[in-house]
Amino acid sequence: MTVEDTVKKVFNQVLDIKSEEIKPDDKLEDGLGIDSTEMVEIVVGLKKAFGIAIADNELKKSHSFNQIVAVLKTKGAK
Amino acid sequence: MDKIAITGIGIVSPSGLDKRKFWSNIKSGRSAVEKITRFDASRYTSQVAGHVHELDVYSNVSSRLLKKIDMFSHMALVGTELALQDAGLDLEKENLDRAGIFMGNALGGWLFAETELRDLYIEGREGVSPFAASAWFPAAPQGQISIRYKMKGYSKTVVADRASSLQAIAYGARTLNRGKNDFIVAGGMEAPVTPYALLCCQTSGALTQNNENPSTAYRPFDKKRDGFAIAEGAGIVILETNERAQKRNAHIYANIIGYGTTTDGVHRIDPDSNGAGLVSAITIALNNARLKPADIDYICLDGAGTVNGDLTEAKAIKSVFNGASKNVIASAPKSIFGNMLGATGALDVITTVLAIEHEMVPPTINIDEKDPQCDINLCVNKAEEKNICNALVINRGRGGINCALVLQKN
Repeated sequence: MTVEDTVKKVFNQVLDIKSEEIKPDDKLEDGLGIDSTEMVEIVVGLKKAFGIAIADNELKKSHSFNQIVAVLKTKGAK
Repeated sequence: MDKIAITGIGIVSPSGLDKRKFWSNIKSGRSAVEKITRFDASRYTSQVAGHVHELDVYSNVSSRLLKKIDMFSHMALVGTELALQDAGLDLEKENLDRAGIFMGNALGGWLFAETELRDLYIEGREGVSPFAASAWFPAAPQGQISIRYKMKGYSKTVVADRASSLQAIAYGARTLNRGKNDFIVAGGMEAPVTPYALLCCQTSGALTQNNENPSTAYRPFDKKRDGFAIAEGAGIVILETNERAQKRNAHIYANIIGYGTTTDGVHRIDPDSNGAGLVSAITIALNNARLKPADIDYICLDGAGTVNGDLTEAKAIKSVFNGASKNVIASAPKSIFGNMLGATGALDVITTVLAIEHEMVPPTINIDEKDPQCDINLCVNKAEEKNICNALVINRGRGGINCALVLQKN
């Protein structure tokens, strides 16, 4: 499974967001209406899914899906 | 009190969500209390409850929102949708800055809360959902209704144990009398069929232990009563001034015309053995309604189903009604679907307005032998036809809370 697939899976598990709803270059808060508490839930889900440490301000709702994936890859997510 | 019309009802109950199905089950005294199977209740002394089925059938709440709210908010949203549809209100034509929400519940969103508490101790800080705080707190349903329907008027949540939603409805009615809102969504919701909530109710000593016969477990005023069965659900009513309801040709189920509330000041759980506080609440309500005891045609009882609870309620009624207590018919229809704690008042109001509409007194079920010390005129096991013009609804809560509301046919 690619990093992108795993991130999509987390979005689906945590917030019931379907893959086709994700616009890869839109900010999460704009494209998916994600608020700050939902973002906390997503980050916790990503930490568990990838087994990596993510600081509180490394992933933001102002990031796009593609930016989220890029940050995760730089942190060693596979 | 100026007449406040009830123009819409929304029911989420173990006896059904559709109001026709609900009334059919109530009229026939068909018990909805079952063994708890949602979790392993085998080590609890009380293992029975009224469960809501078919919530998903009536719900259009998104799965995304469902991940962030407790069941009690979910039931509140479904009940509100049903009530608004029933009232025929077109929200686009309303000034929603003057739409209020008055809700009552006793426990808050306990299933969400206790699950996250468990995760805190197992997984640590990161195991706790960021939605826990906004899902649990007792005013969460008020908030969710406000968000969903964009209602931004003066609103309140009342926490008063089993008297919560009756107090909320009365507070809403009084607020309309003061001209603060154009209409109000009022009622209550409770989701107590969870491991920790059941435990808390159990340790109060008020729950039935008749687990072998769930459908006959809740038997208020019966000689062999041993407490109530809890239930989950929500009851929502739409309130507006009678004048406004008439103007828009709304269907008016009944009018709220009086209310009284007092506190016993005696014990943290048990009611005052004299029933004095309840006598006072009923008297205040009748005076507020400008009625005499003899004007009351039906009493919807608190019906706690505990030995002392029922005794003191009967004592208070006898004291207020004197000789008339043998004539005025009374019942506790909550014996059919269970005691919804904070939401019970809303269901009592809804059942009573349906009784007024259908000219039929709903029964108290499971009475094999009425306690002779509870010498009131009970409608037992089967509904009885009766033209009800004025009805009294009684709710009490722990801490000595007494409430009485008077309803009148339009």
